[in-house]
Amino acid sequence: MRLLRPAVFLLAAAAMCGGAIASAQTAPAASASQSPESLKGPGSDFWFMGGGSFSTIRGSCQTCEDDFPYRHSGGVVANAGYRVTSRMDAGLELFWMPMDTAEGRIHNTHVDGVAQFRPWASKGFFVKGGAGMAFVRNWVDVIGPESFNQKALSVMIGTGWVFRPHARVGLEVFAAQHAAALGDLQTSSGQIPDVMGNFWSLGGGIVIR
Amino acid sequence: MLNRCLVITLCVVGWSVGAAAQDPGNGRLTAPAKLLAVNPPDTGTVSASLVADDPASAGVDSTPVPAASAASVDTPSATSETTSLDAERRACDGCPQRSVGKAFAHTTIINGFYGLANLIRGQETAKITPKTWWSNMQDGWVWDLDDFTVNQFGHPYQGNNYFNAARSNGLSFWESTAVTAFGSGTWEYFGETNRASLNDLINTTLGGIALGEMFHRTAWLVRDTHKTGKSRLWSEIGASALDPITGVNRFISGDSSRVSDKPSDMVPSSLAGFGSMGALWRGDQKGDFDGTPDPFLEMDMLYGDVERGRSRTPYDAFAFRLRLGGGAGISEAKVRGRLVGEPLGDGKLQFAVLQDYEYEKNDVFHTGAQSFEASLSRTWGTAPGARLLLLGWGGLTVLGAVDSLPVDLEAPPPEQENSVQGVSEGPRYYDYGPGSLFGATAIVTRNQKPLLTAFYEGRQLYSLDGVRANHFLQRFRLDLIAPVRGPLGIGVTGEFFDRHTYYQDANRTVKHYYYPQISAYLSWRIS
Repeated sequence: MRLLRPAVFLLAAAAMCGGAIASAQTAPAASASQSPESLKGPGSDFWFMGGGSFSTIRGSCQTCEDDFPYRHSGGVVANAGYRVTSRMDAGLELFWMPMDTAEGRIHNTHVDGVAQFRPWASKGFFVKGGAGMAFVRNWVDVIGPESFNQKALSVMIGTGWVFRPHARVGLEVFAAQHAAALGDLQTSSGQIPDVMGNFWSLGGGIVIR
Repeated sequence: MLNRCLVITLCVVGWSVGAAAQDPGNGRLTAPAKLLAVNPPDTGTVSASLVADDPASAGVDSTPVPAASAASVDTPSATSETTSLDAERRACDGCPQRSVGKAFAHTTIINGFYGLANLIRGQETAKITPKTWWSNMQDGWVWDLDDFTVNQFGHPYQGNNYFNAARSNGLSFWESTAVTAFGSGTWEYFGETNRASLNDLINTTLGGIALGEMFHRTAWLVRDTHKTGKSRLWSEIGASALDPITGVNRFISGDSSRVSDKPSDMVPSSLAGFGSMGALWRGDQKGDFDGTPDPFLEMDMLYGDVERGRSRTPYDAFAFRLRLGGGAGISEAKVRGRLVGEPLGDGKLQFAVLQDYEYEKNDVFHTGAQSFEASLSRTWGTAPGARLLLLGWGGLTVLGAVDSLPVDLEAPPPEQENSVQGVSEGPRYYDYGPGSLFGATAIVTRNQKPLLTAFYEGRQLYSLDGVRANHFLQRFRLDLIAPVRGPLGIGVTGEFFDRHTYYQDANRTVKHYYYPQISAYLSWRIS
């Protein structure tokens, strides 16, 4: 079991490297007769995605000795944007993750400006990144019975694949990490300095173009 | 459990990447733009340039249109050239061969290079193992405690290497931004033993994009692709000093000796440079000036015409300033690149969206920031005569850093011994946070030579990590330059630096620092 995690990780790394090397050895040729309409891709230039995720969150702080737990819950993800080029979309992402704890319900909402990049225009693989604001209510588990709202700097990175059986509608699977940098967190028991929330998500959704 | 699933997903995605790479249909980037010029008579080669006034091309990136898209060009020489370009996966005659896979692979090699260099220097954080990788993935992001210069200068420079690994493999500006983020993210998780740093991710990615495109375009100014022999070699070496990743790739691929036209989008519509060398005197809060002057050297470059034109080509116009000396080794480094340009109304007003990289060190603040802003400008007069340009801007700072002390400290304590090669365990005497900025400038020129420049900028940073405070930094600068002969001139500058720090302590303490600065210098103009 102890070897499982590194082995799985190495497998993932090897697969990624394999992808990179394989692409380096291929010589894709552009179609000389490509029409302007087909350059950006099928469907409209607008991009919408709605879906759900299984997410894990963990709050931590730089100077805290506590070992904060990982907590799991479902989330909702929505994207709206515009296709800038055949390989790039830019838009907004909303990520909402409510979660019940013994102390009450924690609400996490991230609103990020995102850019989504497809290295291969004709394939569904994409990487994604962005930044914006997070709104967090009732954060780490040292929090007391009173609830607090906190705004934070939000950063997200992600990757995934869009399966598109139809030009306008597709199915997306993704893995993402969001971070909420809260700074100081005000709680009923005092102030917790330099709090950071990390969210790991696996999910899927419907893409409409 | 979820993390394990995440890794398995990565594994699947990785294999899928490999499968995608085998896809014969994934065409090179092309753009719906008009073709302006084909077949220059002297070379017989096909060159293409974009015009940005086509509504259909809105948002199209700057990669030149492959000759293949010039459907109207059907001469035999053009056809054979097109076939040749296609075979070599080049978007234009002088463009690099396109390879997405190589861009990612080179980025990974750069990470390996930096990791190896750190290991050779004996840095503890370089002793990575799969266990540290897994630990970093489990822990997620934190704020790091490294030195200011490492975080605000070193990381953006490293990001510039990732960016140019992509640019030198034929990727467009926007595509290269994703590769930069990939390089930055993988370095943070897998390049060091310490936990992945959120501030590094932002600074490396955004700073790397700004510095990367600036260095890439500046290197193309130095590179002369029509030359051969020794003069060509030296032009390639000179360009490589500015953009080493592109340089190395060109030497490896043989492009460094290949005679071709420059890529059309690497030729600026205009170019001007200003150098000034002199001495400056710094005052104190009482207005008294130190009698000892500090020498300085300042370099400004204006690439392209930021004042006019519709543009969707990122960094086809940018300004760069570097000031060495004057109280610090590097007292100012700034890149401001245009992402979007749009004339408004009858064309007298010009709107632009800009990206900023900034590093500044003076007696009242040491700051570095990654920002985006919108600007509005208007010009009166025409080029040969007197002209007045008014420019105003406002925007958001994604992440800024500013030196800061706890409210009860007036000076930082002596250097901490645990700060080894820029990696520190703290405490850290600067704050991180998002913020805003705004400013205005007025420039009077005659015969294209600046006579008077007035500049003001205010920057607000809300501290998310560090001392709880709001920082408001202001700078005013007035330059007067008198032409002497030809490109030479003499100038004097008055500057005023101001800082308010609003502590969020129980007493709501406010600290105010300011000082004036004057300088005299010899200037020369290169255009």
